[in-house]
Amino acid sequence: MPVIEVRGVTKDYLDKGKVVTRALRGVDLVVESGEFMAIAGPSGSGKTTLLNLLGALDTASSGTILIEGRDLGTLSARELSDLRRDRLGFVFQAYNLVPVLTAAENAEYVMELQGVGTRERRRRITELFGRLGLAELVHTRPLEMSGGQQQRVAVARAIATAPALVLADEPTANLDQTTGRELVALMRELNRERGVTFVFSTHDPMVLEQADRVVRLVDGRITADERKEAATSIPAGSVEAGVAAPA
Amino acid sequence: MIPVLKIAWRSIWRNRRRTILGMTAVGVGLMLIILYTGLMTGITAEAREGLDDVGLGHVEVTAAGWRGKHLATQSMAAVRIRAPALGLPADAEVSARVLARALVSSAHGSQSVEVAGVDWDQERLVASHLRTLAQGELPGPGDDRRILVGEKLAARLKLGLGSKVRVLAQRADGEIGAELWRVGGIFRSLSTATSERKAYVSAAAARSLLGVGEVAHQLVVQLPRAADADEVQRRLAAQLGPEYEVLTYGELMPMLREMEDLMDLVVWIAAFFIYGLVGLGILNTLLMSVLERTREFGVLRALGTRPGRMVAQVFAESFWIATLSGVLGLAAGLLLNWYGSEHALMNIGGADGHLEYLGSVVSSARKTHFSVPQALQAAALVYVMALVTALFPAWKVARLPPAVALRAN
Repeated sequence: MPVIEVRGVTKDYLDKGKVVTRALRGVDLVVESGEFMAIAGPSGSGKTTLLNLLGALDTASSGTILIEGRDLGTLSARELSDLRRDRLGFVFQAYNLVPVLTAAENAEYVMELQGVGTRERRRRITELFGRLGLAELVHTRPLEMSGGQQQRVAVARAIATAPALVLADEPTANLDQTTGRELVALMRELNRERGVTFVFSTHDPMVLEQADRVVRLVDGRITADERKEAATSIPAGSVEAGVAAPA
Repeated sequence: MIPVLKIAWRSIWRNRRRTILGMTAVGVGLMLIILYTGLMTGITAEAREGLDDVGLGHVEVTAAGWRGKHLATQSMAAVRIRAPALGLPADAEVSARVLARALVSSAHGSQSVEVAGVDWDQERLVASHLRTLAQGELPGPGDDRRILVGEKLAARLKLGLGSKVRVLAQRADGEIGAELWRVGGIFRSLSTATSERKAYVSAAAARSLLGVGEVAHQLVVQLPRAADADEVQRRLAAQLGPEYEVLTYGELMPMLREMEDLMDLVVWIAAFFIYGLVGLGILNTLLMSVLERTREFGVLRALGTRPGRMVAQVFAESFWIATLSGVLGLAAGLLLNWYGSEHALMNIGGADGHLEYLGSVVSSARKTHFSVPQALQAAALVYVMALVTALFPAWKVARLPPAVALRAN
């Protein structure tokens, strides 16, 4: 079963009942488990809007979005919250760590929402922080960390609960090139090691190089869906090609 | 610690200055309410306590109709009315009085007074001015030839200890009764009316003057808590039936009761405004905090936090603000209130350090009424205000669409 199925999705932003922006215009997309996929496009092309819809943070104006076979349009607010908590991870451009929590507490937050016990949370965080090179930042608060460190903590938070899908909105946009490259490499490793599906938006060529698949959005439409067979570790046949939506 | 409370605790300290200012406003508001309530209830409480100086009971029983005519014949069978039989509280003080409107004369003049024939041991428990006499002493058992007068009456008639006075009153049979008594003691009352127009003799002497048997005209009940007067009145009235009239101090001195009600109203009005300001203080702190963190709330929603937990988050912050400011305000309020109850906060003048107030007597040095339950009640209302004022910010946060919140700067 695909992790994501998007069928004919449009998204309009309204002001006083009138459409002021048509952000997505009939998008169709299928993403299989284990993909490392980038959504590319210029500013205003609809990348963030599409990620918000995939992350159940916003609702489509029309069309259907299924995450692991569950139609988001049929879920209540509470069910959407639970879906985000249990099956999705997020990495934001501006890191968006909770400033009053330490690095470990930020990463533990979703596990705590899930009801995972303190001891188990600590065990997982110790293991994860060790793996991500964050061991020394356990008790550090976000404002005392560099941008790269914060984004690594954000990645730790996103994957700590072993979600089916991690959505990353321009994760390297606020990082310098070296740090950005390291972060993408880290996400790539996690994708390979743990089979976590990553979908991220970017217009950074360096990031695009790392992706197995690049979906290009222009003016709310998918104009290209490219896969790099050589770069991917995903077993052949497990990825269904997304189809660019007709205008 | 519960994570919601932990995040809330740390969140309120993000903007220390604003939080401290907000909490100070709430704490000072609570302190003022406690102090003001203590001052207001202090004066009415003291007035109630001062009733025994004027010889008034919290509850009084007379024969039906006696208050209109004060006839010697409108009496009760006093010997049959005893506190245990009436089911009064064990620590209530009760005194039966034989009352006569009389003319007291000396060689230097005369004065109309109310002569009360009493059992000295009972009466001294309900009339504080008999407990420590200015001159002389209470007559002993069987001494029915002594009269006690107030200082002002003694001065007016130029009476001293041992002075002879003639007392005239209308007897039960309609004739004029006359007795010649000697002044056995002079009492000091802070009430002018009591000091000038009241005299005491033994119950037997009064009965002899009025020519009545083992009867009394008035039963005076002093209760440990004046607030119980209404309940005791209801019980006594039901028990004694329509032949008796049972009145509370509020009915005997309606001005005092009205003033109590007015004081309560004033306290509530003041509390309304102060609590309003307290609520605005909490609302301002919370709303600013929530609006500043719209994006953060969006992140929490994105991570899967349910709307209910977001609401709990806002309430938890409100809880901490109310708790900290409540503890500070309560401590400061109790301290000031305790100090005010021990040492006067102000002096409003008056002779001998006392004032007649609505028929009772109060000290001119205004002390507060120290009451921990009252202060806790005021502090509990701060929590209620915190709960109410958190509703709006919590509602805003719960309704925030995650995508919109994430776009906020």
